[in-house]
Amino acid sequence: MLGRDQLSKDLTLAEFRQFRDYIHQHSGIFLEESKLDSLRISLVTRATRIDCSAWDAYFEVLARDEKEFRELMSLVTINETSFFRFPAQFEALRDHVIPEIIGASGRDDRQFRVWSAGCSTGEEPYTIAMTLSDSALDGSGWHSEVSGTDVSTKALGVARNGVYSARHLLNVKPEAVERHFVRVDDDAWRVAPHVRRLVEFSYHNLIKEPYPLSIMGTWDVIFCRNVTIYFKLESTRRVVSNFFDSLNEGGYLFVGHSETLTSISDQFEPVETGGVFLYRKPRCARRVASWSGSTSTEPVPPPSTRASRRAAAGSVAATPAPRRAERPAAARASAPAPEPAADPGAPAETLSDLIACAKARLAGGDTAGALEAVEVVLAADRNNAEGLLIAAQVHADTGDYDRALAGATQALTANPLLPGARYVLGIIHQRQGDIVRAISELKKTVYIDPEFALAHMNLANIYKAQGRFDLACRAYDNALRAAHKDPEGPWTLYLGGWKADVVLQTCERSLLECRKAMGAV
Amino acid sequence: MASARILAVDDSPTILEMIKAILEAGGYEVITASDGAEALETARAEKPDLILLDVMLPKLDGYRVCRLLKFDQNYKSIPIIMLTAKTEEQAMATGIRTGANQYLTKPVEPEKLLSAVAEELAKAQG
Repeated sequence: MLGRDQLSKDLTLAEFRQFRDYIHQHSGIFLEESKLDSLRISLVTRATRIDCSAWDAYFEVLARDEKEFRELMSLVTINETSFFRFPAQFEALRDHVIPEIIGASGRDDRQFRVWSAGCSTGEEPYTIAMTLSDSALDGSGWHSEVSGTDVSTKALGVARNGVYSARHLLNVKPEAVERHFVRVDDDAWRVAPHVRRLVEFSYHNLIKEPYPLSIMGTWDVIFCRNVTIYFKLESTRRVVSNFFDSLNEGGYLFVGHSETLTSISDQFEPVETGGVFLYRKPRCARRVASWSGSTSTEPVPPPSTRASRRAAAGSVAATPAPRRAERPAAARASAPAPEPAADPGAPAETLSDLIACAKARLAGGDTAGALEAVEVVLAADRNNAEGLLIAAQVHADTGDYDRALAGATQALTANPLLPGARYVLGIIHQRQGDIVRAISELKKTVYIDPEFALAHMNLANIYKAQGRFDLACRAYDNALRAAHKDPEGPWTLYLGGWKADVVLQTCERSLLECRKAMGAV
Repeated sequence: MASARILAVDDSPTILEMIKAILEAGGYEVITASDGAEALETARAEKPDLILLDVMLPKLDGYRVCRLLKFDQNYKSIPIIMLTAKTEEQAMATGIRTGANQYLTKPVEPEKLLSAVAEELAKAQG
């Protein structure tokens, strides 16, 4: 047998019929052809589980192994639409995820939002809502919200109706049935109003991008079970990446119990709780706080292991970070350093992590968050050139030009070859109307880093405004060349939350205008 | 019909230049302002068909500019699209109600911006 990656996730009609007939013969359950996809999911789940690489191989196992047949049938009969399917996941939500999120500092919006993506006929989002109302959220003053989305409007109709036959309630404990359902007749149960109220349903196609604004909110938890089975690898990667963007920091992604994100995404931290694997979006803020809260006698755990991240996050939740900003610098001044290299009193890995975190926030337009991360760096190492620069940029963005100028100048003292610092100086001069100095700094920027596309573009914009079209054309050309050559270079940090390809469009358009103005077109 | 006139507000000349290029490519006429006070002044003097407003602005922040216009009978019909960072969305959830017609979350894509602009202009005319 080959590895699991070799299994074709497509099931032909002929293959479907082979399995269907076998199931019919041995269980009496006859699956219509409309159930092909549903059966395919069950088959992929099982075949993957036992490392089967081909359908005929799995059929052989099925035919000779009674236990495997029962495993498959439990998936086929439960199918993807029952309440509390894989109950351990909902226990993990109730006992681990909810307490962690509502216990986190820095969350004063008190809104707990869950997205059930691909919710079919509504059992999953209702189960989530039931779990929320039986959790620590109840009576906490938090507002809960569950959003169910699907591509099938027919399924959504059933979901909105909220009436189910007893068969769907098999996994629900009797006391939960009593609490969360209202009996309509012998074989029909309606979801109780207090659960129904928490859930909204809407149409959404996971494959269609960009996601609408209403979806791109800030979710605490996303449930999308079996997405890796439905979609091809490339689509799955994009869907999961969209989930990552849509989650709050510290938010969780729930995938199917037999799925993993290995080879799909390395952005999430895997978390194991009670035998359930969950995926958490890393919490930059927590790590910032946990680092500043540690003492010098207690070394900071390296942030590379999962366990230490959890430990660090946990320690912060319990104790707010004390203010001890000057400590590392003071310690450095009083004690002879063991080596001449700047040792800010914290592992360099942690500082560079924080800088990376600040940069990521800045690139997303989150200037306040960037400043928060960078202030921790500067408290430890007040001459950290990159930290000074990021702070300067934030000040420039908020219109505090004096502090921005001072910061960028200081950054250049620490590292005279920092192109970003030159660039920030340039744009501040430009904003203050000092065009001569602006041009001078922007020219220095591209001298240090010829691929700094934004500096070329700004120079070009200035020349264009001055009517010096030949110079402008050359600078736009340089900007385009640089943006193509180094599309993810350090300059992308200065886009103020805009996508890099906007620079290309702007330059192409302006270049054309300049050429027209020169009579060349 | 004459092309709609849009007031774009951002304190960075680089960003303004980019917004201008996107909107002009979409067939709109663009006027600009680079801080909150100038935005308010320009909006009142020019009565643009739509305003594109960044949140982080010197002098008056985007939320305030938006609120001041939306609470003024003479200007409240001008559609306002605000550009926000992810964390600012959370601030909105806690109850900052500015009356903006739409929020776009950074990173902003040109197509997304143009479709939001077209949508708001259509609503304002309808």
